[in-house]
This record gives sequence, structure tokens and C-alpha cells, in this order.
Amino acid sequence: MTKFRMIPFTSLNAFTNMALDGAIMESVRKGISKPTIRFYGWDPSAISIGFFQGIENEVNLDATQKDGVDVIRRLTGGGAVYHDLAGEVTYSLIAPVELFPENIIESYQTICDDVIYALCQLGIDAVFSPINDILVNDRKISGNAQTRRNGILLQHGTILYSVDVDKMFTYLNVSDQKISDKQINSIQERVTSVFDLTTASLDELKKALIIGFKRNREVEFGDYSDLEKEHAQKLIHDRFNNKTWTYRL
Amino acid sequence: MDVTFSDYIESLKITGDFFLHPEETLDEITTELTGVAVPIQKELLLRKIKYVMDSNEAEVIGITLEDILNTLEEVTQ
Repeated sequence: MTKFRMIPFTSLNAFTNMALDGAIMESVRKGISKPTIRFYGWDPSAISIGFFQGIENEVNLDATQKDGVDVIRRLTGGGAVYHDLAGEVTYSLIAPVELFPENIIESYQTICDDVIYALCQLGIDAVFSPINDILVNDRKISGNAQTRRNGILLQHGTILYSVDVDKMFTYLNVSDQKISDKQINSIQERVTSVFDLTTASLDELKKALIIGFKRNREVEFGDYSDLEKEHAQKLIHDRFNNKTWTYRL
Repeated sequence: MDVTFSDYIESLKITGDFFLHPEETLDEITTELTGVAVPIQKELLLRKIKYVMDSNEAEVIGITLEDILNTLEEVTQ
């Protein structure tokens, strides 16, 4: 069985978070690092947009600048996400593609099943909803996104611990029209969180996720290598904190 | 989709919350669609971008190639 490195939860800024994913992909590709599962938060809170999204269409840049919310373009496709400092846990799984089903939806499900197992540990009955969501009673609790580059699969996803829809709408452009209370209610009805459903703490969610991702894998706990940290710094400078990448200039 | 056009597509930027593996295939699709005559010939362009997809062993999720061309047709009408 392939051994995975598991890196415990750390809160980092958006640029470092995404750069570490990129650096680990490279070190796994070169065989320097083991396939890796990492857990992290976003400090400060941030907006991540999908690889193909237009930043001006998706993000209220005046509001993010004013409040010190980072904005970053991900390596993965999909939609814009508000990552609240205290409201979620994010995971990344980085491994050779051959360890997962070739079919993209099946590979999403394989990894999302680990999150579903974790939520089950907290008494939450969640299901996978293709393409890339996890739902509880038809409400989204987790969004996930995947890319495959040079034989390496990266899937990252967020698990909502608590949701502040008002804050989300402050930073995300939902439409050109002013957001009405009705629309906010509609979004509130479409999302849920661990806090809404249980009395579990954020720490309990983190522990459950470790159990979920460990259950079918041989895992050893580890940290980022010096090489990965160094490479991540370069990626922050060249890509993730660079306007050419962020604004797709 | 941001398009600048006259009697041909002068520039094109395709944006959205879809997935495309490998992601760089979108640059080739954009190149393929830039410079073509307006009104566009959808069938011909579909064949061209299917070829780009096949040669990159690319897979798109959350949008279809037809969606892209339908939007392009709509925007350039």
C-alpha cells in the first residue's frame, strides 16, 4: 500500500496555501515527497476563484481590499469560494493519478467519501453529489475541485464549519443586481455547516477529517520539506501573488 | 465570455466556473477561435476545437464545446 504523508492543520495566508499545493505537486512528481494530504485554514480570510474565472466578474475587489481579504486564483477550475478564517477546514490531497480512478467523477467520489466518512463521525449524514459537492439534506456542506498535471492529481476542498452568508455576499459578486434579502435566504437554504447540524467543535471536525482520510491509507504524519517551502516562496512571487496570474492578464 | 469582433473575432476570453483538464487546452481553443470570420461557422469550429481537445487528451466538465460556440454565436450576432 502506498504510504501517504499527512500534514496537520495550519492556518496560512492564501498565497502560501496555494503555493504549497503547487510545490508539493512538483515534489511528488519528482518522487522526492510521498503523496500528501494536508489540512489548513486561511489567515486572513480569502476569496479563491477558479482557474478560468474572471476576477472582476466574481469578486468585489473594493470590499476585499478594504477588509484585508486576500484574493487568489486557484490551480483548479470551479467557482469562487469565500474562505472564512474561522469558518472552515480545507484539505488538499496530492498524489500520482494512477492511485485514483481515471474517471474524473469517480476520483472525486473516492476522495469525497473520506470527507463523508469524517462527517459521519460527527453524526452528519452526507452524500456525494456529482460533479464535486457534498450535500446534507440537499444543502452544500463541502465543495471540491481537482486538477491533474504531469501525472499528479491535486484535489482540494472546503468543509464548512460555520457560514456567514452576509459576509460571503460582501466579497462575492452574485449578480449585477443588488442582492435582495430573498436571494440571501435562498443561498442560506442551499448551504449548511457542521455548526448548524451538530454541537461538534472545529477541533472535532479536524480530528474527524484525519480519521476519514486515514481510514483506507497507510499514513505517517510529517511537515513541509525545506525544498517545498523554498519552492512555495518562488511560486508565491512568480504566480500566486502576481497580478499576471491573478488577473489572467 | 469577453469578445471583440468586427467582421472577424479580434479577441476572445472565455471565463467561467467549469473544469478543463489539462487547463492549458483553453489557450489553444481560444487561439483556434480568434481570427475566424463573423458570423461564425459553428460546425466547422466544433470540428476544429474537438481536434484540439483530442490532441490534448482533454476533458471538459461543467460546460460543453457546443455551449462555448453557442455563446460565441450569440455574442457576435
